[in-house]
Amino acid sequence: MKRVFNHPPMPEKPTMWRSFAELEKSPGFDEVVQREFPRGAGVYEDSGLSKRDFVKLMGASMALAGVGLTGCRRPESYLVPFNRGVEWAIPGKFLYYASAMPIRQGAMPLIVSTVDGRPTKVEGNPLHPYSNGGTDAFTQASVLDLYDPNRLKVVKQGGNEVTVEAFDAFLAETAKSGGQGMAFLVERKNSPTRDRLRAELQAKYPGLIWAEYEPLGDAEAAKATSAVFGQGFRLVPKFDRADIVLALDSEFTSTSDKGVGFASGFYPRRNPDQKGAPMNRLYVVENHYSNTGGLADHRLRCKASDIGEFARQLAEKIAAKSGGSSLAAAIGAAPKSSAQFNEQWVTECAADLVAHAGRALVIVGEQQPAWVQALVLAINDALGAIGTTLTGVATGEIPSASIADLAAAITAGSVKTLFIFGGNPAYNAPADLGFADLLKKVPTVVRLGFFEDETAKLSAWQVPAAHYLESWGDVRTYDGTYTAIQPMILPLWIGVSELEILAQLVGRPKPAGPELVKETFSAAYGTSPEAWNSLLRVGFQPNSQFTEAPLALNAAAAAGLMTGVAAAQAGLELVFLQSSSVDDGRYANNSWLQETPDFETKVTWDNVAMISPATAKRLGVRVNNFTWTDKVADMINPISEENVKNENTFDIVSDIIEIKAGKDVIRAAALVAPGHADDSISLALGYGRTGVSALMEGVGFNAYPLRTSDSPRFRTGVEITVTKDSYPLARTQEAQSMHGRDLFREGTLDRYQGDPKFAQFIGMDSHIPPNISLYTHPQLSKTEAWAMTVDLNTCTGCNACLVACQAENNVPVVGKEQVRKNRDMAWIRMDRYFAGDPEDPEMLPQAVMCQHCENAPCETVCPVNATVHSEDGLNLMAYNRCIGTRYCANNCPWKVRRFNYFDYNERPIHDVKIGPLKAQGIYFGPLTKKGMADSSKMQKNPNVTVRMRGVMEKCTFCIQRIEEAKIGRLVEAGARNKNEVPIHEFKSACQQACPSDSLVFGNKADPNSRVARLHGSDRSYAMLNYLNVTPRVKYLARIKNPNMKMPGADKVGKANGDAHHGAHGDAHAAPHGDAHGAPHGDPHGADAHGAHGVTKPEEAHH
Amino acid sequence: MANFFPKWTNQLPWKVAVCVLVLGGAVTAGLTYYFTPKYTRVGYEPTQPVPFQHDLHVQQLGMDCRFCHSFVEVASHSNVPSVQTCMSCHTQVKAESPKLEAVRAAWNGGKGDGPAVNWVRIHKLPDYTYFNHAVHVNRGVSCYSCHGDVNNMKVVYQHQPQSMSWCLDCHRAPENHLRPPSEIYNLNWKAASPHDQREMGLKFKEEWDVNPPVTCGGCHR
Repeated sequence: MKRVFNHPPMPEKPTMWRSFAELEKSPGFDEVVQREFPRGAGVYEDSGLSKRDFVKLMGASMALAGVGLTGCRRPESYLVPFNRGVEWAIPGKFLYYASAMPIRQGAMPLIVSTVDGRPTKVEGNPLHPYSNGGTDAFTQASVLDLYDPNRLKVVKQGGNEVTVEAFDAFLAETAKSGGQGMAFLVERKNSPTRDRLRAELQAKYPGLIWAEYEPLGDAEAAKATSAVFGQGFRLVPKFDRADIVLALDSEFTSTSDKGVGFASGFYPRRNPDQKGAPMNRLYVVENHYSNTGGLADHRLRCKASDIGEFARQLAEKIAAKSGGSSLAAAIGAAPKSSAQFNEQWVTECAADLVAHAGRALVIVGEQQPAWVQALVLAINDALGAIGTTLTGVATGEIPSASIADLAAAITAGSVKTLFIFGGNPAYNAPADLGFADLLKKVPTVVRLGFFEDETAKLSAWQVPAAHYLESWGDVRTYDGTYTAIQPMILPLWIGVSELEILAQLVGRPKPAGPELVKETFSAAYGTSPEAWNSLLRVGFQPNSQFTEAPLALNAAAAAGLMTGVAAAQAGLELVFLQSSSVDDGRYANNSWLQETPDFETKVTWDNVAMISPATAKRLGVRVNNFTWTDKVADMINPISEENVKNENTFDIVSDIIEIKAGKDVIRAAALVAPGHADDSISLALGYGRTGVSALMEGVGFNAYPLRTSDSPRFRTGVEITVTKDSYPLARTQEAQSMHGRDLFREGTLDRYQGDPKFAQFIGMDSHIPPNISLYTHPQLSKTEAWAMTVDLNTCTGCNACLVACQAENNVPVVGKEQVRKNRDMAWIRMDRYFAGDPEDPEMLPQAVMCQHCENAPCETVCPVNATVHSEDGLNLMAYNRCIGTRYCANNCPWKVRRFNYFDYNERPIHDVKIGPLKAQGIYFGPLTKKGMADSSKMQKNPNVTVRMRGVMEKCTFCIQRIEEAKIGRLVEAGARNKNEVPIHEFKSACQQACPSDSLVFGNKADPNSRVARLHGSDRSYAMLNYLNVTPRVKYLARIKNPNMKMPGADKVGKANGDAHHGAHGDAHAAPHGDAHGAPHGDPHGADAHGAHGVTKPEEAHH
Repeated sequence: MANFFPKWTNQLPWKVAVCVLVLGGAVTAGLTYYFTPKYTRVGYEPTQPVPFQHDLHVQQLGMDCRFCHSFVEVASHSNVPSVQTCMSCHTQVKAESPKLEAVRAAWNGGKGDGPAVNWVRIHKLPDYTYFNHAVHVNRGVSCYSCHGDVNNMKVVYQHQPQSMSWCLDCHRAPENHLRPPSEIYNLNWKAASPHDQREMGLKFKEEWDVNPPVTCGGCHR
């Protein structure tokens, strides 16, 4: 008998929600959900053509094309071999080199794939001691920067193009001049060779100023560490040893500063099934939801400026329990403010930390003021963390001047020639320095940079910088491992590396190859060619880490940092965040990152000022304009074909607020963010740039004008005015909304231990009889069965997989206007749910890609068999068959299929007309210039089709890698039975990029494979199991480890509602008795469903 | 009784006839073009920048395919030889031949910085089709099966249609083309009879577990 599945009714207030519009059940939201396509999605806009006109025109042109068959002739094409064979190069085959990407406090060790001499993709180097083989979104996207057609391509002097020789001559002259008034402003690079050249330079020119500036640097933390422990130390937390971690405004899971090795010890300890190590517990205190906060077992919302006070109150409790004298001294010196926190939260958290002394760790964000850093170090000391969970290494680093020191020197007029390597101080230097004006006072500014940006425009010399994939270099990772940076390609344009400039300044010849790096390496690790070759082969020098150094806390110095500091001002604060898309602004021209939704707000192409619901209400900021403007607009302008062009009537539009601090004012679009601390506003840095390139134009809001050098993390005492202006946002959130179904599942450790299979019987899955199918499906006969698992327990939602997928699979970028029409093309999307109280919910990220259903609903509706199944269980897309009906996307329960509306791959995204209206709203009319930049073509993966207009596309499970592995095995087998050779090991692109090892891909048919074991594990469940589509992707439920003494502990791990054993089974005993095969639509009341929980297996299947 | 049909209908029969003829002719012409080997360019024999003779090099000089197409066993592409490969012999043999002008220009006396030789592509699969040479030649499919008797060609031309149905013919019944591994590059080799070929092919198919893909994903990614 046919089984009818009605989706479970929506509870009055959903427990799990994706936006306020959904939570509040606003009519506008319902309408958007009910509407099959968002308004405008099916309209060929911008051209004034209706669909009917379009078809008429196309018919006519087809007829015309048919008259002359000349168009059918294939053009002549050529095979052009090398004149001289290139060593190792085999046409069409990938070559892999070990290299590294320098990041702020270390490096990301890499394996770079190059094909025919072009680097196309980077992966983590799993051999490296400070890498688990993962990467992050920034690293993945850095390949695109290499081919960025907007890069500075010529040397300019005074705005006019000059030759490289002219610049070399200038350097030679400067080198001879004696270095009077020479100064450098550099980015942090951790390069031993640069340090060596710097020392040579300083020996030659003793008066020179060497200043380092990173907008998102760790200057405050370094200040505290050097005061408390002495100069030249670096702190290394050992997450693998910590049972309890308390993160104070710290995004320690972020890999962008220290690399993937930093927190990699944390994730195995998060696994409830790990043998021999109890699951750790994470407390997070922060003002906005960070990735780390999303993982927290207990999270406290706290203004960033109150973190110090929180630490002080926590220290008091800890001191009372553990009686550390140095801590008591520190507490005495720390400033007191009137901030109040949940007393029980602080007490119980402190008790838990003290109870786990020696196995507990407190970690604080590096931009928090130095006195907070010192206080936290004292807490760690009292907890016995120093030397156990928090160790130190001796780096021997020579301190550099700060940008403030440099600014003082410029003001004093002592700087004559200023070299700026990278960075962009005219844009991102602390506002109180007025750096852009200071630059005008320096007679000669030499800027080595990637773009003709704000700083370059104020410089006498603009020199194009070489990308890290174009130049020789070396770097120490955060643990100190000596790591090589090898060029993969000659500079595409005439890029120069900073090592080359420094070498010329010390009077050496311009280096032509690796000689500078080789010199550094030989001095430290011997001159044998084997050692050098091994360095280049594996990418690093083994056992070259910094030596561990015992740390001794100088309590007096710690107290000294706190004395005389004013307590944080009450009232509103503005918090400066690292952007998940553009970092500090350095990736502003990277379209992949710009289009990657922020992990929390899901906003693309913009940054927004996040405000808590309560504060928004108080200030009069609307949740979003959706609720009322949409209604009004719909009354005035009912939905009809005439007004669909007026997208703003229903799309997500936010209020513009003015943020005022002192005499400085900035404007920003406000967005109400669940889980945000009250009286606090968070705004990401790096946006709001003008006059650099079309891609950055009109994108987001610049927060730097309010940022001062004494407080890099926050600015207190700001005032907010809500303006009447509004701002359209491109959010990927409300699109593709799923009704309150238990897609994301979680539970507590207790529940998991008592009922290990709980996740498989949540929601609908607790009611339904075993799935049966009406259809007979062809046997999936192959010895391989590709499958994947996503571990929600360790997934932070960091977006690395999204960008890796984009790089691997030639996924195009569509631009802000198209994202607003829900036409984004990303093959993986990172869903983000909120669960619970809107003021203080849980944040649950969930990566969703094509689930490769064995009973795929998309396949049955394709009229041309363009999407079919392979024997090894892949849901295939034959692009050349697809005629673009989009039926498959409509029938896909996961909404992961993407339709290419406008030949996005052929659109010159970097080459858009600059204008206030059309920035990012790329005009896709028939007269648009087509064809992507030549350099962008070089990035494309040659093993993946670059899809054209009118074709549906989606995740392929990286079929090119599967085929590569299968073919490799067959080639190796040759004239033997192929089963004698095992299939070559490989990973999907997303799995390979994942820094927390949350994605596992492999052959499910092999019972020893990791994916087979995880598929069969207790925590695994399939989304929408009751549809019986048998997806090949399974999710591992998130397990939380709450401390039951904490306030709100009863709400932790309850995203799916309470587990209510027994009662549930009883209530539905009658319907279940005869339910098998009977219509089983809605046996349970809506009230029961709001808190829909687990039923024990035996209850579910009676 | 009034006329049911207006006057212009008198002209209709011949108009219809003309239309049918024209349409029929167009359909026939279309079918002739698209459904015959001409569309798949069998016999396509462009003039190459260098009049290289495969028959001379293979039949008379006895060179192996892999001397020039050196990566066919390891890569998806079967490479066209670099100029360096040509010049490894032709600096001594026929060093002054006017036919080798383009090659010598590219070589530029050993510097290798001359204008590259643009060989005209004969066998071209669509961009969305991923063919891999290595897997075929290592698993018993000879060059001959797709490229014909290149060893006897003075000028190379396309020998097989290389259409999708042609590919599938072999993928569905590889026994008709599998050879002993020793004879892959021997383009003169032939099984004694079609029956022998089938027998042997089935034996190899069984022994090596040859199971070519016939799903889309085998070639389209």
